[in-house]
Amino acid sequence: MKKLLCIVLTLTLVLAFAACGAKSDEPYLIGISQYGEHPSLDNCREGFLQGLAEAGLVEGKDFTLDYQNAGFDDNIAIQIGQSFSAENVDLMCAIATPSATACYAAAEDKDIPVIFTAITDPVAAHLDSGNVTGTSDKLPVEAQLDLIRKLQPEAKTIGIVYTTSEPNSVSAIAEYEEKAGDYGFEIDAIGVTAQSEVTQAVDTLISHKVDCLSNLTDNNVVGTLAAVLEKTNEAGIPVYGSEVEQVKLGCVAAAGIDYIKLGRQTGVMAAKVLKGEVSCADLPFETISEYGVYVNSAACSELSITLPEEIVAVAIETAE
Amino acid sequence: MLDSIISTLTQGFIYALISFGVYITYSILDFPDLTTDGSFPLGAAVTAVLLTNGCNPYLTLLVAIAVGALAGLITGLIHVKLHVRDLLAGIITMTALFSINLQIGGSNLVVERATATIFNAEPIMTLFGGMSLLYRKLIVSFILIVVVKIILDLYFKTKSGLLLRAVGDNQTLVTALAKDKGNMKILGLVIANALVALAGCIVCHEQRSFSATMGTGQVVFGLATVIIGITLFRRMSFVKGTTAVVIGSILYKACITVALAAGLPANLLKLITALLFLLVLVLSGRKGEEIIHA
Repeated sequence: MKKLLCIVLTLTLVLAFAACGAKSDEPYLIGISQYGEHPSLDNCREGFLQGLAEAGLVEGKDFTLDYQNAGFDDNIAIQIGQSFSAENVDLMCAIATPSATACYAAAEDKDIPVIFTAITDPVAAHLDSGNVTGTSDKLPVEAQLDLIRKLQPEAKTIGIVYTTSEPNSVSAIAEYEEKAGDYGFEIDAIGVTAQSEVTQAVDTLISHKVDCLSNLTDNNVVGTLAAVLEKTNEAGIPVYGSEVEQVKLGCVAAAGIDYIKLGRQTGVMAAKVLKGEVSCADLPFETISEYGVYVNSAACSELSITLPEEIVAVAIETAE
Repeated sequence: MLDSIISTLTQGFIYALISFGVYITYSILDFPDLTTDGSFPLGAAVTAVLLTNGCNPYLTLLVAIAVGALAGLITGLIHVKLHVRDLLAGIITMTALFSINLQIGGSNLVVERATATIFNAEPIMTLFGGMSLLYRKLIVSFILIVVVKIILDLYFKTKSGLLLRAVGDNQTLVTALAKDKGNMKILGLVIANALVALAGCIVCHEQRSFSATMGTGQVVFGLATVIIGITLFRRMSFVKGTTAVVIGSILYKACITVALAAGLPANLLKLITALLFLLVLVLSGRKGEEIIHA
């Protein structure tokens, strides 16, 4: 039985390795490494493919895709990067920081270009030089503060829940704390270490009598948003989102990024690199050129927030 | 295909250091030590900070070993001196380490590409500089794992090593030999977590990054590799436990490479790993009578 097992295991290995060694030479092979399944990250990927299409690349004819996601496991992200390198992909697209650092490390040997997206601070992650570039999803913090001020002229304190181990959240909190004073706000930030602690943190903020909550792109908070909104609606506290999906779910408004757009911008950059028009090293990373203002008027009227004319004029309504 | 095999072997060798650690705690000491999930990123955090500050890359190995040993010491003291149950003692240290790792390295710390690591510093470059980085990583990690394996094998033959093995099998014997079994347990935890932190250190050298969440699931990885390795070679007594767990580690990493290459839905990766794990246990346990205790 053991011999049989050994044979079966060996055969599976050999076959699979053989399978990943086979590679046709014509269309570009693009490896997409996504950190996990998550609406914002999924939108990035979706947009990335749109961006490639926009640049005139057709899937199947001009490029083939190898899409992998790591299920939020850093160690799997490492292996995904290495499997792309072993496949000799022509370009790696990495979505979120852990995937990007893993792809960049794996690509070093063969100098495969890496295009990242959904990274807040590429400079801190040392992804700003070398054969790597992409787009940053840095939140428009000032625009968000401005929006909150317009919707709640009397508000003093903004409560924020964030995960201490998420790099994007930590850098966003720093910016919130730096800029809040300019708009007359104080920030009451509570750090959590796991998704299960988010609602508890929200309870704490409610008991601190914050005037509203503002979300980052924090995976744990966004993941429990429905439960968060249940609590805040009961307490009559509005929640501001950080991107369109959260406003659809019931946040009152957001000055945020459209991840599809961000992905599209990334896809266009990738196409330029693939076609050889420019190398990653000569293409600095980009932040999103424009942000959108999204409102959910149903949620607003429930919390008796009146939308000023100037906001209505520019905002995109998300309530159905 | 060759590249794929090489990078899988490299990963298998590096992560086998975790398997060594879990082999000592789980298999030899019969101590389910969850400290692993914290000491692995601890090694990486310390390494990332040291490398960023221009520390000699080889020195980081020693520092990682030292901090890992300290983590093991704490679990040991909590268990032996404060009489906290083994599982809980590990959970306490692991939880504390999560905060400590955040303090040391932040949520994420990336080491610049220009920084020297053990894969591109002297004397490695003089010896293997002609090779591509892929091969250099394989060779360095192979040398490292062989050296650690030999040291461990030699240690297990010393008086202290034999006593350590006796603690897991027959505690009365240890007491009868007028030795303190508590101290032996602490020693085992110290060695095990030093190895696990060393694994974190090497991963940080290899990936040039530390992330606070990188430790999640390392205990499960360690247990799986130890059980796969030991079960596969149970009837081949000439294969040492240390060799068996290295092969277990390589097989585990190979399973993931295979799952990725086969284009299986990524969300099912863990399920597939669990099924493979079960398959190995069932197939090789069928002839045996006893429940696998590794």
